[in-house]
Amino acid sequence: MAVASAKMPSPRSRGGLVRFLKSPVFARILFPIAVLIFWYASIGAVRAVWPFAVDVLPLPQEVAGAMWDEIIDPFVEGIQAATRTNVYLTFLTSLFRLGVGFLIAMVLGTLLGLAMGLSRAVDAFWHDWVMAILAMPALGWALFLSLIFGFGHTTPILAVILTGIPFVIVNVREGVRNTPRELFDMAQAFGVTRNKTTRHVLIPAMMPFFFAAVRYAFSIGWKGLVIAEVFGGQDGAGWTIKFWYDAHRAHGVVGYAFFFVIFALALEKLVFERWSRHVFKWRPDHGAVEAVEQAFEVAGVAGTIGTAAYVTGVDFEEFEDEGIQ
Amino acid sequence: MADIKIEHLHKEFGLGEDKVVALEDVNLEISGSVFVSIVGPSGCGKSTLLNIMSQIESPTSGVVSITQGGREAMRGYVFQAARLLPWRTVMDNLLFVQEDPGDSVTKERCQRYLDMVQLGDKGDKYPGELSGGMQQRVGIARAFSVEPDVLFMDEPFSHLDAITARTLRRELHEMWKATGKTIVFVTHDVGEAVELSNRILVFSKGGQLEDDMAIDLPFPRDPSDEAVAVSKAQVLRKFEELDLVAT
Repeated sequence: MAVASAKMPSPRSRGGLVRFLKSPVFARILFPIAVLIFWYASIGAVRAVWPFAVDVLPLPQEVAGAMWDEIIDPFVEGIQAATRTNVYLTFLTSLFRLGVGFLIAMVLGTLLGLAMGLSRAVDAFWHDWVMAILAMPALGWALFLSLIFGFGHTTPILAVILTGIPFVIVNVREGVRNTPRELFDMAQAFGVTRNKTTRHVLIPAMMPFFFAAVRYAFSIGWKGLVIAEVFGGQDGAGWTIKFWYDAHRAHGVVGYAFFFVIFALALEKLVFERWSRHVFKWRPDHGAVEAVEQAFEVAGVAGTIGTAAYVTGVDFEEFEDEGIQ
Repeated sequence: MADIKIEHLHKEFGLGEDKVVALEDVNLEISGSVFVSIVGPSGCGKSTLLNIMSQIESPTSGVVSITQGGREAMRGYVFQAARLLPWRTVMDNLLFVQEDPGDSVTKERCQRYLDMVQLGDKGDKYPGELSGGMQQRVGIARAFSVEPDVLFMDEPFSHLDAITARTLRRELHEMWKATGKTIVFVTHDVGEAVELSNRILVFSKGGQLEDDMAIDLPFPRDPSDEAVAVSKAQVLRKFEELDLVAT
């Protein structure tokens, strides 16, 4: 491993550099860089020994080019001329199905989860069925539903509901069961009405579980939707991935997979994280993460510096020897 | 001020071989502006009695009547842990237990009690931002803010350090003097009971009311005063007579 002692920065800047290397910002930047390096290295190696891999193993710039073509297609060709593989129409179709299915799964799942959490008899009646639905693979639902309902909106919407709803039911039920009994006793001791107790004790206490339900139902439902569209669709994002697969164009398949990732990340950052911050603003920030990092300072520094050294080729051990934190 | 009347109160938990008698044939009357402490060993039914009086639990048999001028008395409760809603601010925790939380008079009253426990400027804080002692103060302010006829307190200072507990005992005494409520206070600390109470009810392990002792000493009481120490010794002697020590 190369040693960079000849061009060591000043102690202040070195301390800043180590802090930066330990920061979440660096970790976030490091991940896509590591993925790109791995991508170029592995595809390059395969292409070197098997030239035909050019068609099935695209490089990052080829995937980016395919994605860019999809993005600008309607503006170049005009909306009328745009094909149904156009990214806007396909995502609009899929999002409509996802939205409807997700909403139904949330409403039904919340009601059933509440009933199962509040009544042992209701729980006993539904428990095995929920577990059975949970165990059913999304592919099973996709094939089964497309046989019954054929191509159209019904199959993917039902696939979203059936893949997502067990997670909502289980999380909401656990949320109800985990609401602190002592807070209900407190409300009862002060003669607070049941309606008010439900709104101000039960629902807020359930929110962490409800958030888990939303996230699970969304991500699992999203996967169920794509599989249903691949096997039982005539349009939509899943169908388009299949289209590129049939056309033997790997850059189209990977490009669409990236559209999914970008959409999911945008939704997480712009909706779920903000909503979560707003709902859980009461949670005290005791710097728990920082405390754990401090407790495992040596291991943390060793891990981060090891990763950084591997990627940059710089030996940071000398920085540590000088007591830089 | 409330009138509390308990007749032949009996409480059991569990069934068959698992059956446990928590309270057995308890008969009791409390009325007026008194501070009554209930003491006894762990498992003697102190908290169960308080929970039955505050309607958190129901008795197996017997009658519990808590009235004020012929109507059902208003109750307040201070728990061992503060039991605040962590997602509501301090002021909203007080407003949660009010019948008319939107009323400006109610808000002023809540603010007044927060001022009394010296947390007047913490109304917009969340419980997680406060120390354990401050949270217990909020619990006390919440109980007083409903202007109860009777206040139930279940070992409210047992989780706190000695200095904070002593400060809060003094504040509680001041609030009791200022408001004249009937207070029923459960504690395992005989010294605390002697420092605060007019009456001490001694319960045995089987949930029986063994003794009803009057503490006729002037307030405020200093634990280091000889008279207070003598009263404490009397109560402890009663514990020894009833074989309640170290059970």
